[in-house]
Amino acid sequence: MYFVFMAALLGGTAFVLVRGKGLARPSPAGLRGRIRAAGWGLLLIPAAVMAATMSGRAHALAVAELAVAAALVLGAPRLAARLVPYAVIALGILGLVLAVKYHDGFTRSVLYGIVPAGGWETWRDQLVLPEAGLFFALGLWLLLKVNAPGAGPVRALIARWRDPARGRISPALGLLLIPVTVMTELLLGPRYWFGLQFPEVATIVLADAAIATASLVLLFRSRIWAATVAEAALLVLGAYGLAIAAFYPDVPGFVYGFTPLDTMHHVAFAGALQGTALVGLGLWLAPRVLREHQGSAELAERASQLTERVQTLTQTRSVAVDTAAAELRRIERDLHDGAQARMVAVGMSLQAAERLFTSNPQAALALVAEAKESSSRALTELRDLVRGIYPPVLADRGLGDAIRALALDAPLPVTVDADLPDNVELPVASAVYFSVAEALANTTKHADARSVQINLSHRGGMLRAAVTDDGVGGADSARGTGLAGVERRLATFDGILAVSSPPGGPTIVVIEVPCASSSAKTSSC
Amino acid sequence: MRIVIGEDLFLLREGLVRLLTAHGFEIAAAVGSAPELLQALTEQRPDVGIVDVRLPPTHTDDGLRAALAARKQVPGLPVLVLSQYVEQLYARELLADQAGGVGYLLKDRVFNDEAFTAAIRGVAAGGTVLDPEVVQKLIVRRSRDEPVARLTPREREVLALMAEGRSNAAIAQRMFITEKAVSKHAAGIFGKLDLAPSDDDNRRVLAVLAYLGS
Repeated sequence: MYFVFMAALLGGTAFVLVRGKGLARPSPAGLRGRIRAAGWGLLLIPAAVMAATMSGRAHALAVAELAVAAALVLGAPRLAARLVPYAVIALGILGLVLAVKYHDGFTRSVLYGIVPAGGWETWRDQLVLPEAGLFFALGLWLLLKVNAPGAGPVRALIARWRDPARGRISPALGLLLIPVTVMTELLLGPRYWFGLQFPEVATIVLADAAIATASLVLLFRSRIWAATVAEAALLVLGAYGLAIAAFYPDVPGFVYGFTPLDTMHHVAFAGALQGTALVGLGLWLAPRVLREHQGSAELAERASQLTERVQTLTQTRSVAVDTAAAELRRIERDLHDGAQARMVAVGMSLQAAERLFTSNPQAALALVAEAKESSSRALTELRDLVRGIYPPVLADRGLGDAIRALALDAPLPVTVDADLPDNVELPVASAVYFSVAEALANTTKHADARSVQINLSHRGGMLRAAVTDDGVGGADSARGTGLAGVERRLATFDGILAVSSPPGGPTIVVIEVPCASSSAKTSSC
Repeated sequence: MRIVIGEDLFLLREGLVRLLTAHGFEIAAAVGSAPELLQALTEQRPDVGIVDVRLPPTHTDDGLRAALAARKQVPGLPVLVLSQYVEQLYARELLADQAGGVGYLLKDRVFNDEAFTAAIRGVAAGGTVLDPEVVQKLIVRRSRDEPVARLTPREREVLALMAEGRSNAAIAQRMFITEKAVSKHAAGIFGKLDLAPSDDDNRRVLAVLAYLGS
């Protein structure tokens, strides 16, 4: 009878393993869900049978347990399914208890799983522990499979154990600090100091508390440093253990790891085994800890770079905002004093003409001519204004042709050599256009040049404009306001301006701007 | 005289139609986008096409491109390009085929309807009419190595007025000299620019082209 149930348990588990991939996870609602849950819950019955059998084949208890299990399976299948993992884990615990009992000389024969264990000397007893381990593993697996309460923390633990950054030290390894400090304290602490036992318990407690607090503070302040200290301590303690094994005879009263140093045998064990293990662990950790430090150094450097970047951006942004505001103010004033005023004049002229239309046609005609003249001037002014905001040819043809148009309008021969992508961002194109225009204007005004050469090129995501003249040289961006303004304008785009202008010439003004401005937008060149 | 108008702003298009009708021109078509304009120019073959530089669909220089495309299909098709702003760059592109019959004016030149209709007739006759603003920029330019540099100031003045599309008579009147003197200056210009004697109109176009420094 018992073996039938055991076979049912193992067979059921095997069936679930093979077929039940999709069975688990939040059981679907409705009848199907109930049936599935009941299927899982059925596993409760063999578990109950096994538990009952172990408790000395007490048949009444077996019947009671079976009845409870059956009632659960039929009445609350979902609850039964959730209970299964805990039942299996409980079986594992029973196995552990059984194993301990055997070690204590417990001899009564008990059936555990498939092992009828009994007596300390029997070989079958050795199977109890592995079987218990299997039950633990099965219980945990079932826990995850049926998503019983408690599955969440187990999953989290597994996820932590499987550190995604494999090969890197997990900062959780800083926890090693605690056993290491405990061991250090045992070995070198005030409890035993070269054979002298510290008499006052209060001092020991105080020292322990201080060490524990220091470890915890370090652990919470910097897990990397906690891991580093732990790693260093492992090496020192390991070396110490090896030294003890090599040089010291028995030292009663001292404890090294799990071993009191009371006999030669224990001293050798402490040194050879534990010392080697500690040194090994320390050596295993060392490169990982070092890598972690390197990583944090890189992070620190990156952080300082970012801080610098934020400072630059704050500065250039405030300049950009000021410039834009000043520009808008200028446009407003130009419109107000220029085109708007002229349009008022046009209206007034036309109104006067209207009045004089019949009485004095000659005067009316003159006024209409005046109105025409005014509107013409207004248009001219608007045209100049628009050119200063965003040159139409730049909008029509892009940077290359806009610079060519600029060159054609210059009062001295300018050759343009442009090799540019089509998709230069408009703000970048505008900034480069006005920078080149300013450089060209400076050349025309100050350089006394015979000719100018403008080169536009792009390489490695940078747009480069070089304005070279054969003039007198001696230009200085620090002196003139023009080039300084260009510099500020370019800074908004992370662009730079370089001027080479030795006395006697030639003057070369180089402008470099990243093709994509540092916004979320992208462009390629 | 039959005219095709390409202008996307309704007010300006209607204004042009009214103005030109009043001056006895016949409007063959008045369209508002570059593809329509190209079709109208090549199918209607007007005596002059009046074209706004900026037209749909992209609202950049579609009108100019349509005009150039039309002149490629119909060589020498007279085109008068109007714009809110003038660029030497565009003037060069319009004149590059050396076929003449090209005008390039600011839109506000329409205010002076006599000059404007004269410009239309000049373009229709195969002449070159450049906006004074373009010509002004040419005068500012200190070209030292170009053939134009060999011209005397007087000859340059004549050439500038020529570029604006003025006839010898108009130039004479403007400069307060005789028409004969203008002819003499013109001959001097053609000689210095190495323009072989041929059709006078064509030589005027070439002279203006040389002036543009292409």
